Amino acid sequence: MKKRTVSILMAAVLCVAALTGCGNSGVETGAETDVTNEADADTDTEEAAVQEEASGDKEVLEFYHGYYQDESEWAAAQAMRDIYDAFAAAHADGNVIFKPIAVENRDEIVSAQVAGGNFPDIVDLGNAGASLAAIQQGLIYDLKPYIDENGLQDAVGINYTQHDVDGHIYLVHDQIESRGIWYNADILEKAGVSADSLTDWESFGEAMAKIRGLNDGSYGYIAGQGSSKMVNSILASTEAGREMLESELTVDIINSEEFAEAFKTVAKLDQENGSEHTTEDNGNLMAEFNTNGTVGVLFNGVWNASGIDESLADAIEPALFPGNVAIASAGGGLAIANGMSEEKTALALEFIQYMTSAEVQEKIFTDVQANPCNVTVDLNALAESSGNSITMKLAEACSQVNSADIVVIDMNYSWGADVNSAIINALMECAVSGTDIDARFEQLQKELIALIG
Amino acid sequence: MGVFILTELKENNKNKSRLRRRRSGFIILFLAPTMAAFCIFYLYPIITVFITSFCKWDYTNITAPEFFGFADMWNNYDYIFHTYPYFWEALRNSAVWALLGVVLQIPIATAIALALSRKVKGVKIIRNIYIIPNMVSTAAMGIIFLQLYNPSYGIINPVIRIFKKEFTDNILLLKGPAFIAMTAAYIFFTGTTTLMILGNIMAVPEEIREAAMLDGASGLRQDRYVTIPMIKGTLRTVSVLAATSGFLLYNEVYFLTKGAAGTYSISYVIRELAITSPRTQFGRANSVAVVQILAGMIIIAAVNLLYGVSFKKKNNRGGRAS
Repeated sequence: MKKRTVSILMAAVLCVAALTGCGNSGVETGAETDVTNEADADTDTEEAAVQEEASGDKEVLEFYHGYYQDESEWAAAQAMRDIYDAFAAAHADGNVIFKPIAVENRDEIVSAQVAGGNFPDIVDLGNAGASLAAIQQGLIYDLKPYIDENGLQDAVGINYTQHDVDGHIYLVHDQIESRGIWYNADILEKAGVSADSLTDWESFGEAMAKIRGLNDGSYGYIAGQGSSKMVNSILASTEAGREMLESELTVDIINSEEFAEAFKTVAKLDQENGSEHTTEDNGNLMAEFNTNGTVGVLFNGVWNASGIDESLADAIEPALFPGNVAIASAGGGLAIANGMSEEKTALALEFIQYMTSAEVQEKIFTDVQANPCNVTVDLNALAESSGNSITMKLAEACSQVNSADIVVIDMNYSWGADVNSAIINALMECAVSGTDIDARFEQLQKELIALIG
Repeated sequence: MGVFILTELKENNKNKSRLRRRRSGFIILFLAPTMAAFCIFYLYPIITVFITSFCKWDYTNITAPEFFGFADMWNNYDYIFHTYPYFWEALRNSAVWALLGVVLQIPIATAIALALSRKVKGVKIIRNIYIIPNMVSTAAMGIIFLQLYNPSYGIINPVIRIFKKEFTDNILLLKGPAFIAMTAAYIFFTGTTTLMILGNIMAVPEEIREAAMLDGASGLRQDRYVTIPMIKGTLRTVSVLAATSGFLLYNEVYFLTKGAAGTYSISYVIRELAITSPRTQFGRANSVAVVQILAGMIIIAAVNLLYGVSFKKKNNRGGRAS
């Protein structure tokens, strides 16, 4: 009898556990757990929001973003969370509660929701790029009418043109992924070359050879991920190449002379530079430039200013790609779900306006150390008033990018991450001494044609 | 008296069948949650993967996969087999990793388990020390190996330079060596497998060992003729596990090469198509997944066949000898 009772109890416990497990599943809960466990980003505002939500009195506008890192890990993440929390606090008494949710797996959450025909209320897609599937399904709100009606063209800056999809704007990124180069003036000087030699690709190659000739452990540049930006900028140096970068990748582009020339030029430079200085992620070797000071040039964004070690602050300077080219991409950014209630949509739109306002954009520049999208912000004046040497360096880098003769989009966004990855892999393999660059390029052409098929 | 016995028999039968029914009821009750979970989390996705592999399913119709029609139903497979540039490379690599799991990882794990089963001083500490690296996630291991293989400060290039003075290349970018480097990043981490084998070795009855010793079989001979045949069931299980985990390798590819230098794996290709591609090619990714499932089943069958044949031969030989 006892055994029977115990068995029934165990079966009941099993069923309850299974049902509880099912009841707790769902994207929202998972995301909130991430916040608690990974970022410790909960605030009083969020708690209040949850309480209000529980009471069912108010609507909640959920905002997913990827700034989950602890302040000690990445100060910019805390700065962004502070910006979001200030907006939430300002609207705490409204009919809709603004609830920022920091998650590490933002891309997976968005993918899963889009696959199910849903979209988060608001999401900051960061540099993940727009989801074609979400746009195709009409899940994302068109921001263009709101931007036009409120005269926000300058506030959203490059988003207005780069994120234009057949007359619609689905994304606004509050910060622009701006890329030029960074060089170590001390190494260039030691090698007997000036910064002027970085203004065209031929003299750039010669300068790198001289750095290698120092034989003191220094080398030219970090290849791999950075090399794809070199291809990008060489393509940008011709009118035809710029058109290619701004369109979808086609067979004609893959078979074009411009593409072949850009790839082979970079592959040759990479091979001379050596495969030991090649990585698919700049982050793997970044310390060699920013801290150890053993690298002549780094192909990285303006945000690298904050990574420069104090001891190298006087030596490291920003510049543009040879040919006065800059790469500036809106990337992903903020997107709002279609079909929300009027009140929620209104608050979401207000948030877009808030994020692109001069006040917040200044914080994005000074506290987050990124290039703001709002073109009315005077970066140099801000940098001078801050008196911070890193902010001044960032301002210089941003100003150079913003005033470059040629500014193009990163092919990672216009041609797709899979294409970009295939190009990076091909370049990395070419960096190995003795690799037949022509043969590898032919193979790459076949791969790319297949990928777009 | 006869009637009494008949009634008692009937009563007994009734009790037995009631007991049987009750037992069956409990078995069904306890199995039900597992079966439900299996159907929801395994069977349903597998069927979905299979069906949608014959569908156009990408960013244009993400919520409504569309059957190609019988005339074009093989479209995704046609693309994967004939156009997609990384499929065959990925299938070959994954198959080799599966094979290496059986022929390299299991013998290593078995040898270590046999060594750890010896009753010598300090063996318990060594067992614990051996297990520690196996508690590190494969992702973290990938990053650790990325540092080891770093040409500037890693430890592999200096070792290579002992034999080849001028060597400076990044080993992860050399076709061939990159594959070996990636294999080395996971194949020697056999902690769980070793523990499973060790547990089984410990369960071999002491009397059998003693009997073998009396027959003159000790040390390696005892391992070969007594211990290993007695743990063949476990060896078969861990071989299947090693082969399938080799076949499903993903983290190492992601962290070490991102598929460069001929190191794509089937799992990595699925992610490339479904997630990395801006066109969200779910249908094509699922056709690769179907191949992955079928190949996995073939691997399991092959391992079982291998063990069946191998131990049958040994038993026959043993029979003749006796």
